[in-house]
Amino acid sequence: MATLPDGTLLPGRLFVVEGIDGSGKSTQLDLLHKWLVSEGYLVVFTEWNSSPLVRRTTQRGKRDRLLTPLTFSLIHAADLADRMERQVIPALKAGAIVLADRYIYTAFARDGARGLAGQWVRRVYSFAVRPTVAFYFQMPLDEALQRILVGRPELKWYEAGMDLNLSPDPYECFRLFQQRILKQYEAMVEEFGLTVIDATRPLVQQQQQVRALLTPHLHHLQKSTPSPWRQVLTREGLYGRYLHTTPEPKEEP
Amino acid sequence: MTKIRYYGTGTIPGFESGELPGRLIVLEGTDGVGRSTQVALLHEWLEANGYAVTQTSLARSSLVGPGLTRAKQGHTLGDSTLNLFYATDFADRLEKEIIPALRAGFVCLTDRYIYSIIARARVRGVDPDWLKNLFGFAIVPDMIFYLEAGLEQLIPRVLSGEGFDYWESGMDVLRGDDIYANWRIYQTQLLEQFRVIGQEYKFTHVDANRSVHEIFTDLRRRLKPILKGMRPAV
Repeated sequence: MATLPDGTLLPGRLFVVEGIDGSGKSTQLDLLHKWLVSEGYLVVFTEWNSSPLVRRTTQRGKRDRLLTPLTFSLIHAADLADRMERQVIPALKAGAIVLADRYIYTAFARDGARGLAGQWVRRVYSFAVRPTVAFYFQMPLDEALQRILVGRPELKWYEAGMDLNLSPDPYECFRLFQQRILKQYEAMVEEFGLTVIDATRPLVQQQQQVRALLTPHLHHLQKSTPSPWRQVLTREGLYGRYLHTTPEPKEEP
Repeated sequence: MTKIRYYGTGTIPGFESGELPGRLIVLEGTDGVGRSTQVALLHEWLEANGYAVTQTSLARSSLVGPGLTRAKQGHTLGDSTLNLFYATDFADRLEKEIIPALRAGFVCLTDRYIYSIIARARVRGVDPDWLKNLFGFAIVPDMIFYLEAGLEQLIPRVLSGEGFDYWESGMDVLRGDDIYANWRIYQTQLLEQFRVIGQEYKFTHVDANRSVHEIFTDLRRRLKPILKGMRPAV
């Protein structure tokens, strides 16, 4: 079950993935998503910083570097609040599975790394639904950095933590910022009972572990009406990764 | 010098402590009570008397202003989201306008502060403790003038101004489409919330049932002790 802040149980399930950049959490969530869909569950996916109403303000704030640690924190809270009210809670009430790529722990880690008071941030986010399971993909800093920085990609200002003036070199600044974030995550494992996944293990083994941990939570859930090609996918054990470009075939009248 | 005091735990990195030579003066009150008129009069009077003055108001920050206007036009924001939007906007003005002005020694006149946001949220059933924590980063003003007038005094002022506003009539929370009746119900609820908040945040009550000139004279009189030493000695 997922739980509203006032203690109300919602019939749906909320599974979230967390971890530093490069930990591979989005890949794992993507695999999980496809598996759950192929099993016939009704799945809603939500991503950090994606509310259509709030995103334009956030984007402008980032582009023009208008955000301070305080406004950075608040605008991301507004983003999650909007998705919570319009997407996550209705889906959970309907008995669906909600998969969240990053959740409140990302805010606690980043805002903490930016020097905001932890207690204040936690109370700001007290509107958020308590997840059924929160996975933390644990990975040593150097390995995550190696994955991200191979090919020297251009780092965005806030992504690299350049607003904190940790170093004039974006790569060094990114490293120091990620180090702070990692420290915050590690402290939250116990605080929030995060389910730790060793993200250095092979991808398939991690996915098996995640599925095994989820399975006990998958009873009494809303299933979607299987479409003809979904049934084919389930029977053949395929993801259907190229089907999204094909329109869903209409049922015979 | 005024020592910075926050309502909650200090949460603004870089602004944790210190002293600010300016003064923060807030005018609060419901729709049509005459806040903006008094702010304009005070601004002119203070400048004419040699004070350095700046003015700010709600929902006009460079960061959130456009997004907030857009979102309100669609009437699509939920309570938590809207309050976090307001909080972002307020934080932006606090950090970019108010604190720099206070640091530079200005008298900062503010048309509405966190109390209006808190009052409108409390009417809509938002958890008071959550709101109190959320706005814990706000600095405590040197003076909060709360302009208060009865509904019967407010109605003609609203009508001769912009008329009954959708949000100020609580049309998003009340049933029916009678904007006049809803305005009365909503403003009564709002006044009740302001009464509660006023005790908590120590408002200075100003009777706004009087003429503009009488209110102005009263505000000036009460401001003087706070502005001591703010004017450059010629």
